[in-house]
Amino acid sequence: MPAVPSRKRVPSYGFLSSIKGNLEALTIGLKYFLNPNRSTLHYPREYIKLRPGYRGYIVLNKAKCIMCESCARICPASAMKMVRFQAPDPKRPGKMKLYKYPVINYQRCIFCGLCVDVCPTEALRHVPAHDVVYMNLAEMELDLEAFQQEPKSPAEEEGGIPVRYIFDSEKGLVKVRASEGGGGQ
Amino acid sequence: MAAGELKLSGWEVGEVRRLPGMDVKKIGKDLYEIFIGPQHPGSGHMRIIVRLDGDVMVEVDPDLGYVHRTMEKLAEGRSYIKVIPLMERMAILDACNITLPYVEAVEKLLGLEPPERARYLRVLLCEINRIASHLYGMGIFGVFLGHSTMYMWPFGDREVFVELAERLTGARLTHTYAIPGGVRRDVPEGFTDDLRKAIRYMRKRLEDYRKIFLDNPVIRARLEDVGVISRNLAIELGIVGPNLRASGVEYDVRLVEPYEAYDELDFEIPVFEEGDALARTWVRVEEIKQSLRILEQVADKLDKMPREGVMHDKFWAKAPKLYKDVYAKEGRVKLMPLFATLRVPKGKAFARAEAGRGEIVYYVESDGGMTPYRVRVVSPSFRNAIVFKYIAPGHRLMDLPAIYGSIDYFPPEADR
Repeated sequence: MPAVPSRKRVPSYGFLSSIKGNLEALTIGLKYFLNPNRSTLHYPREYIKLRPGYRGYIVLNKAKCIMCESCARICPASAMKMVRFQAPDPKRPGKMKLYKYPVINYQRCIFCGLCVDVCPTEALRHVPAHDVVYMNLAEMELDLEAFQQEPKSPAEEEGGIPVRYIFDSEKGLVKVRASEGGGGQ
Repeated sequence: MAAGELKLSGWEVGEVRRLPGMDVKKIGKDLYEIFIGPQHPGSGHMRIIVRLDGDVMVEVDPDLGYVHRTMEKLAEGRSYIKVIPLMERMAILDACNITLPYVEAVEKLLGLEPPERARYLRVLLCEINRIASHLYGMGIFGVFLGHSTMYMWPFGDREVFVELAERLTGARLTHTYAIPGGVRRDVPEGFTDDLRKAIRYMRKRLEDYRKIFLDNPVIRARLEDVGVISRNLAIELGIVGPNLRASGVEYDVRLVEPYEAYDELDFEIPVFEEGDALARTWVRVEEIKQSLRILEQVADKLDKMPREGVMHDKFWAKAPKLYKDVYAKEGRVKLMPLFATLRVPKGKAFARAEAGRGEIVYYVESDGGMTPYRVRVVSPSFRNAIVFKYIAPGHRLMDLPAIYGSIDYFPPEADR
């Protein structure tokens, strides 16, 4: 069943409908004045407990990385770069080996998550945090050590209340405590 | 003198006086030239040059190009998959609609069809985006008219659909969801139930919108018979989208050239006759209703379908076990490393789709390499911008916000 066009007209409007329109507008305004539908997030007193699938900050698990460079190659913003260094090869004693691992520059990252999806060994993963604060621009260019540490949300660190929004057919979105929200930890 | 007040005494011809965000130049007796924008909250990222006779506009020139980012040229230096996040930045709140024809064009060149479930998932996000885009447009329209309730309500309700998109794709905006061959994620658990709740909620809210905005006598008085685009003028200027359908033309890409799963879904294309600012608002409300209807059908269909195959076999058949485990557990589609260096056969492809603001057209030419030889985009807002020049003259200056808002013109999309 493909789409069908349906011709309509704007509802006609006379003197009586303008009285009705005024009354309706005032009534609906009053209804929401008495029973407001608000879902304001009081950040940082509260913070959103992000769901597992959220495309947040990215963390490297160095042990899983196979140095394939796919993540650096697919990055649309050139945020991910490989660092190269020589180190002793554990398999061949006395020999050196070229290692390369990805590092990320959060000045450029657009959180598209393509690097995480293209990683063949799941060495990269998203963490549920999106409000990390850096004190200067240089800090946003992570080195290999920093890229392996999980960034923490400052609101979470300072003991904010984790909340979550759930769908409701009466109110649209309702803010609840994350423990009652369901849908993953 | 308070800001926003203009002293008229002793004003010589040729002298420029300033208002916040506006320069007013006297060009004759009772004739003024006003430069609105580009740093004016009511102009968006563009400048409108208005010439006034007293209070009546005699000439209106939209001056575009303030947010031109050379996207077409940038696309020539990027591999195929990287063009998707780039093009998304035209209209971040309509991200799936705006990039879908590009993905379709690349698929045509690669000679592959997305699997059925992927087609439905694309429609799902497209319609969520369409509703979010219309609500955004209506909110801006409301505040242009000084109706701040209509600004707050649609922006609050848009959050419902942004939240849905976040559950589906992992990102509130710029989803990068459709990729050549399929989509990047399957629906998470419990998504269709949440979707049905959102649909029920939005249906009720549209009735509230009618009461406080569309049937409000103050708004009716400001919109009725303002900025009328006749059927002939609409066709002559080549405008697209809801603005065209408000002028009585039955044209929608989903109707004339159904793409993805639209030919399997049952819905209407609302067309209004009047062509004024009020009809353009009604078209959007009716379109939201139809989008909700589509979403309902898609939710039913997704529930019945087996939860597999959102990526074409070319990129999935040889996927290692880890990839299939991740899909089974998280619904996330891992990409084969060849996506980073995707080579597309030589050829030319053309695709179009109906975005929130109208028809978007892509032309993609490949020379067989890793980057496109040419990507041409014609965006809906660019085609609608010309309307200002033709419909605003003859109205009073205070009708300009009503006309601007009802067109739902979005400069970043027009300038690319």
